[in-house]
Amino acid sequence: MAVNWLHKLAARGSVPVFPVLGINGAGALRHLVLSPHIELVDSPRHASVLLVAGEIPADRFEPLRRVHDQLPYPFTTLWFRSEPWPHLERVARIDALDDLPDALVKAHREQMEGRRGSAHRLLPDKPPNPWEGEGDFGQGGEGMMGGVPYGRPMAMNMEDDIRDGLTLDSLTFRLGPFFFAFPPGMAAEITLQGDLVETWKTQFAPYPQPLDEVFFNAHERPVPIAEAELARARHHLQRLFHALHLAGLENVSLRALRLAHGLSTSSTLDGLRRALSRSGFFRLTAGGGALGPEQARMIGGPAARATGMDDDLRSEDAGYRRLGFSPVCQAEGDTHARWRQLLDEIDQSLHLARLAERDKVHTERLDNIETPRGPWSERQPADASALFDELLPGLEWGDALATVASLDVAALADQAVGTQPSGESRAARGGNGNDV
Amino acid sequence: MELFALLIILILALSAGLLMQWLPIRHRPRPSWSQRVPFLGGGTPDSHAWSRYHIRYYSMTLLLIAFEMEMMFMYPWAVVFVEKGMKAMMEMGMFLAILSVGIVYAWREGVFKWQ
Repeated sequence: MAVNWLHKLAARGSVPVFPVLGINGAGALRHLVLSPHIELVDSPRHASVLLVAGEIPADRFEPLRRVHDQLPYPFTTLWFRSEPWPHLERVARIDALDDLPDALVKAHREQMEGRRGSAHRLLPDKPPNPWEGEGDFGQGGEGMMGGVPYGRPMAMNMEDDIRDGLTLDSLTFRLGPFFFAFPPGMAAEITLQGDLVETWKTQFAPYPQPLDEVFFNAHERPVPIAEAELARARHHLQRLFHALHLAGLENVSLRALRLAHGLSTSSTLDGLRRALSRSGFFRLTAGGGALGPEQARMIGGPAARATGMDDDLRSEDAGYRRLGFSPVCQAEGDTHARWRQLLDEIDQSLHLARLAERDKVHTERLDNIETPRGPWSERQPADASALFDELLPGLEWGDALATVASLDVAALADQAVGTQPSGESRAARGGNGNDV
Repeated sequence: MELFALLIILILALSAGLLMQWLPIRHRPRPSWSQRVPFLGGGTPDSHAWSRYHIRYYSMTLLLIAFEMEMMFMYPWAVVFVEKGMKAMMEMGMFLAILSVGIVYAWREGVFKWQ
């Protein structure tokens, strides 16, 4: 009796959704964050709906199976712009972004009221590795650490200590590709010594990220600078949203996202800046992850300018020169400097957009475009996730994650955001259908 | 008799608490094996996560215990203070002084700095 009552109560509450991001899935995530009745959770253990957003490449099927089976029973799945696996039963596919929140709420409600059965487990219900321990609790076996219960050895101290002489065990594991703190699709093999990263090996590069169509159009014809700069500021604000969410600053992150969605030439950054200083975000990201000159050249864009390089293809464009453009830079090149740089660039973009809108200035160069991700001259900015392998060892886990969030490493996709079938770009412009 | 009443209250409270936890889970199946492995965003671990780990706040914890013990000794002391008067005051002063030296020493050694 009590259980039925609890189920009814749960059906009326917000829907805990664990998003598994496929290619171009991050847009759906940002749409859901602002939807009422949807609560995005960072671990499948807290979810009752698994949302597969975007196409999942075949090499990430196995991790998806593992995540799928980690949701507590009963649960349901929903595939957004992605073809559900044929052997799954009772799985809905949704293609329209505007219908997604309602579909999630409906699926959860039906599940809780018992009108829809739970999704089935995909993996066999047996230990991932067979039991090889000796004794009832695996306490037997040879050596100080006993046997190998469930086929996995106990963590052992394999390497010399890398910090202060206190001996700690090395813990090796593979993280991702569906880990919320990483860029979508990225996976890495990591060895931790206590809370220090000992080795980091990026296994899967993040998916190529889509960019606003204005940057693709700029390659073919002159585009209004106001439009390009607003798209740039929006891109940076969306990255800031992800970092703030990672830092646990939920309210400020939503504020950044709302600003990105309703961005216009009359928007200002002052309120958000104050909120960021008050929230302690800059103290959280202090230090760590400083890029060398070689690494900065490899990644390019705002991260390179945060190290003090004033490379910006916009300064070669006559339209931008007429607006008095000169690149802003920082000096230190670490995580903290990168966020300062990003905020300064958003400010600069809004300022340029205001001037360009007043004077109706268009871009003039078609071959050299500075995208928010980096310079695009002969070829598009390429994936730079291999950078983490040399940058992160030696950092504390928290600093390492802050560094990952502060670097925009994913390559650019060949397709723009606006060429997708539904109204994602419309939602990104405030959801009212008016172009900026 | 009083103790017996307390025992009954204890048993009642415990059983009510356990009952409230047991009711919702009585029909729930045991989590499957795939659910019991740690969540790594789809990744897998190489070893068990039972490892030696540096708890960096341990020195601060030790200091907290020093402060706490000091407070604990002050409760019985407050009872006898009225009887003994100045003598108790002096004794407590000595005790606090010795403890404070320890705290000052720890401070000098940089215990309060987060490394």
